[in-house]
Amino acid sequence: MAKSSKRSVANGSSSSNNKNTKKKKMNKTGPEGVAMKAKAPKVNINPFESIWSRKKFDILGQKRKGETKRTGLARSTGIEKRKKTLLKEYEQSTKSSQFVDKRIGENDESIDDFGKAIMRSQRERQLNVKQSKKSKYHLSDGEDDDGFEGIDTLGGDDYEDDMLDEDDNDETYKRSDLGQRLNAHGMQSPGETGGADGGENRHKTKKEVMNEIIAKSKFYKAQKAKEKEEDGDLVDELDKNFTSLAHSEALLSLTEPNKRKALNALVNSSKSNEKSDKDNLSATPTMDKSVKEKPDEYDQLVRQMGFEMRARPSDRLKTPEEIAQEERERLEELEELRQKRMTAAEDSSEEDDEDSEKPSKQKQRSVSGDDLGDSFSVDEETITKKGLIDLILERKDEEDSSGEDDDGEDDDEEDSDDSEGSEDPDEGTGDDLDDNKKDTTLKDWEQSDDDDISVGSEDEDDDDEERAAEELDEIKGLNSRIHKKAKRNDSVESVKGDDDSSDAKKLVVGEKMSKVLEIPYIIEAPKTFEELCSLVDKRSNSDIILIINRIRKSNAITLAAENRKKVQVFYGVLLQYFAVLTNKKPLNVELVNMLVKPLVEISTEIPYFAAICARRRIETTRKQFVDSIKNAENSSWPSSKTLCLFRLWSMIFPCSDFRHPVMTPVVLLMCEYLMRCPITSCRDIAIGSFLCSMLLSVFKQSKKFCPEAIIFIQTLLLATTESKHISCEDSQLYHLMELKDLKPLVRINESVDKINALNFFKLIDMPEDSSFFTTDDFRASVLVTVVETLQGYINAYKDLSSFPEIFLPILKLLLEIAEQKNMPTALQDKVKDVAELIKLKADEHHALRRPLKMRKQKPVPIRLLNPKFEENYIKGVDYDPDHHRAELKKLNRLWKRERKGAARELRKDNYFLLEVKEKERSLQEKARAEKYGRAKAFLQEQEHAFKSGQLGKGKKRSR
Amino acid sequence: MTRAYTMKGKKRKNKEVSKKYDREEDEEEQIQPKKPAIQREEPTPEVTKTEENSELAGIPIAPSFEKNSEKPGVVFVLEKASLEVAKVGKTYQLLNSDDHANFLRKNNKNPGDYRPDICHQALLSILDSPLNKAGRLKEVYIRTEKGVLIEVKNYVRIPRTFKRFAGVMLELLQKLSISAAGKREKLLRTIKNPITLHLPPNSRKAGLSFSSDKLVNMKDYLSTIPSNQDLVFVVGAMAHGKVETDYTDDYIAVSGYPLSAAYCITRICNAIEAKWNIL
Repeated sequence: MAKSSKRSVANGSSSSNNKNTKKKKMNKTGPEGVAMKAKAPKVNINPFESIWSRKKFDILGQKRKGETKRTGLARSTGIEKRKKTLLKEYEQSTKSSQFVDKRIGENDESIDDFGKAIMRSQRERQLNVKQSKKSKYHLSDGEDDDGFEGIDTLGGDDYEDDMLDEDDNDETYKRSDLGQRLNAHGMQSPGETGGADGGENRHKTKKEVMNEIIAKSKFYKAQKAKEKEEDGDLVDELDKNFTSLAHSEALLSLTEPNKRKALNALVNSSKSNEKSDKDNLSATPTMDKSVKEKPDEYDQLVRQMGFEMRARPSDRLKTPEEIAQEERERLEELEELRQKRMTAAEDSSEEDDEDSEKPSKQKQRSVSGDDLGDSFSVDEETITKKGLIDLILERKDEEDSSGEDDDGEDDDEEDSDDSEGSEDPDEGTGDDLDDNKKDTTLKDWEQSDDDDISVGSEDEDDDDEERAAEELDEIKGLNSRIHKKAKRNDSVESVKGDDDSSDAKKLVVGEKMSKVLEIPYIIEAPKTFEELCSLVDKRSNSDIILIINRIRKSNAITLAAENRKKVQVFYGVLLQYFAVLTNKKPLNVELVNMLVKPLVEISTEIPYFAAICARRRIETTRKQFVDSIKNAENSSWPSSKTLCLFRLWSMIFPCSDFRHPVMTPVVLLMCEYLMRCPITSCRDIAIGSFLCSMLLSVFKQSKKFCPEAIIFIQTLLLATTESKHISCEDSQLYHLMELKDLKPLVRINESVDKINALNFFKLIDMPEDSSFFTTDDFRASVLVTVVETLQGYINAYKDLSSFPEIFLPILKLLLEIAEQKNMPTALQDKVKDVAELIKLKADEHHALRRPLKMRKQKPVPIRLLNPKFEENYIKGVDYDPDHHRAELKKLNRLWKRERKGAARELRKDNYFLLEVKEKERSLQEKARAEKYGRAKAFLQEQEHAFKSGQLGKGKKRSR
Repeated sequence: MTRAYTMKGKKRKNKEVSKKYDREEDEEEQIQPKKPAIQREEPTPEVTKTEENSELAGIPIAPSFEKNSEKPGVVFVLEKASLEVAKVGKTYQLLNSDDHANFLRKNNKNPGDYRPDICHQALLSILDSPLNKAGRLKEVYIRTEKGVLIEVKNYVRIPRTFKRFAGVMLELLQKLSISAAGKREKLLRTIKNPITLHLPPNSRKAGLSFSSDKLVNMKDYLSTIPSNQDLVFVVGAMAHGKVETDYTDDYIAVSGYPLSAAYCITRICNAIEAKWNIL
């Protein structure tokens, strides 16, 4: 009946309102009227409740829970809820007491009246039963009371719960008991415990327990069997894998051939075993045997294999780092060997000279123009990193030694000069070498070799090959010299008190004397100039070089730490020797050339010291130059010594450095010579042009602009021209140059047939007033060299943007020179070529030039900003790097939401209460108005009656 | 009841604040592009010149006499851009035809319509143009297929790779604004429709459509527009279809061939740069 009514309700809701109202009326009296009331109006009364809120953004693939809802419905349910709770409370708030309905099933709306009745009758019967029980056994009062109370307070369902509780208690008891047992027995199979338990357990019958045990044991057996079967399957699979492995090439390649047979046999047997296994599979007990047999064979093989040589792993491919490491090790080894060989060479050099020279030659690097004087090779690195203090100390030592030298210097040099003069009569007159030296008091050994005789060497790349024949020739002569030398050494050393070295030398010399009187193989580095002179005196060029080489080898820096100091001292002495040599007249060009090589090599070994030596020399040279330029009579052009030293330094030190401690002052000094020295003779012109060409070689790489050289060349060319017109630009030139009056020194008066190349050494050897300087031959050749140098400068400076300004004045001069009458045709051609070159380059530069304009900045683009975004953005996640802050924000948000929700609820409650109160008030008002109206109506009626004159009547009537 | 009023008041306040903030930004913007405007006007004829300039340190710099802020600018509107976020699996993603073809088919959508890369290319070609570097681009607006209007500031550096671009757009569509990495400035943000509220007043609004009968040479077309008028170009950033807007003055076709959005923009930019002497 209830069902049918429900159905009808459902139907009614779907159909029109009229029907519903009818049904409602019909059902009102029925038990389901109450339930109906709740449902029916919800559906029908408010049409807004049927409206669903629409989705704001349709996002594909999104299924959100609260996306769509019926706001109207929510509102009405809210009101309903409040009616049940808030309204009740409100109503109760004025009441002092409350009626509680404790009837069974009254609060539960899901139960219909019939159900309620059933429940009530059930409860009644139960109560009766309990009461009867109580009367039977007279249980204690307290329990009874409890039971009664429980039943009274709890609903109908509670009774069932109680019953269930009892069961639960039983089970828990059982479990706890079981647990205790397990604990007591420790490791016992559950079946056994079950068995043990079975006896005691009252709840289970013995039969049940036994059944349980049997079932359990059966289960275990089945499990064991299953495991066994699985093991068998695994073994089979392994066998199969093994055979396939054995047949594969991988294992075959690893095993030795004789083992392979065994392996194959094993594989075959295993195959047969497999077959037998398959046969045996039906009969399980036999299978165990076969399984046992098989491993024996297999184990044997395994054991054999264990004793076998293991297969060597092939070489792994090496990583580049490893290869580099190996290479480095190899190199180190080679280096070590080389070092050994090198040190051994010292010993072996006594036997063989030429062999000993080779390694040293290999070691010495070829020195290019770019080579840094202070650049280190790998070997030198450790040595050259000595630090400033050491350097200073060395310098002090050096000075000390030089100070010592001072005393005997003059005498020694005299001696050496004398001896040279006497013993090499064919070398000409060298007597007037030391005129200045004697006069001036010498403070420094560096100054000792200063004099005014200029000697220079242009080409230094002569090879220092040894001339054995010469040696042989001079051996006889040497004998006597060595005698002398030894004596002199003794005397010198004794004076100085340098006992050790002298002793050593004596020994060495003594040995030499006892032998065939040759050059000693091991020579202590000479400490003073005299020592060196004594060593070198009256020897042939090749011998001198040999001596120097031996000194170097026997005192190589790599041999011992203290050798460094020795080498430094020796370097100073050698440099001095070089300077003295270049000052001689005539110049021993060959020897000078030969000396260059060891000097360069040593200075690469001790770059700091070499630089210091060079700087001091430069300083003194400059001082002398300044002195000499003061008195105008003497020619202040540099001597041959200075020129040679300049050349030497330009070879030792890198020329292309922007700033170099030696090369920069050298270049400055050269330029100063060019600028300040007045050109008085043709010899000056020769020296000047040599300086120019040297400067060119220095500047060729760095392409630094050297105005002095260019101006010098220009003046030379000017000196060639006939017409002495001096334009304003030229006069500017003279401002810079200290040239007073320049005669047309180089002007060619007569025609010259052929041009000879000049030998500078010859020129410099010539006296100043030699007739050669006035010949046209000389002039022509000087002009050729000048023009060639100019060409070099043009090539070096062709990239300068001021090229036209530099060279265009020269172009004019050149054109003038080319048109001269007596010019040899070759020279003319050359001049024309150079003029052409200048023109070409100048035109190029002119073409590239642009007119002067205002500077324009590059347009600056607007500043762009990068957007900040997350790689995988998830909405709602705070990407604040500060976790604490993010957490705080989150909590804040939560709190705000909660607060808002609570506020909303309270507001709604208020609205609701307001509405209720309003309703109440309006009701009251209405009632009051009604009452008032009624009263008023009554009064009005009365008044009306009174006025209309019916009052009397009424009175009469009432009366 | 009272609550609603208060909320409104608050909102208005916020708006004011944000407006102020924006205004400051605008000022900054104006300050920024001043410099480039200065030198832009004089055309530099040769590249070698600029190299030489570095050497001539002593020579005075040419004075500046241009002010960029007063000059007319360009606004680009990318219509019908397919920027759509969807929940694919568990994460939200910007739909594109490559990665989400199956997902789109499952939802009965045509994968060919989901082409955010067009928008990406178009944005890159706009923002990389010298026109923008010179500061003459005012703003870029993107209107998505769904009707979301996005404002892109002219000084945004749009991510060069599509993946990162998709990340930016995804975040933008969910967070509704993207700020600069170091600052609090908003570079991209969603704004209120309709777009006519944001376009400069008294501007020439031209829609670009291949289907238009008015096939013009861009140079000639620009010459007809008075030089003090702002320009608005509406370009479609969709794979198929046609731009249909009511706010454009006229529709023009730039080429006889259907062009990609990016190339079309390039053509427009080139023409404008030529007209305004931006090199």
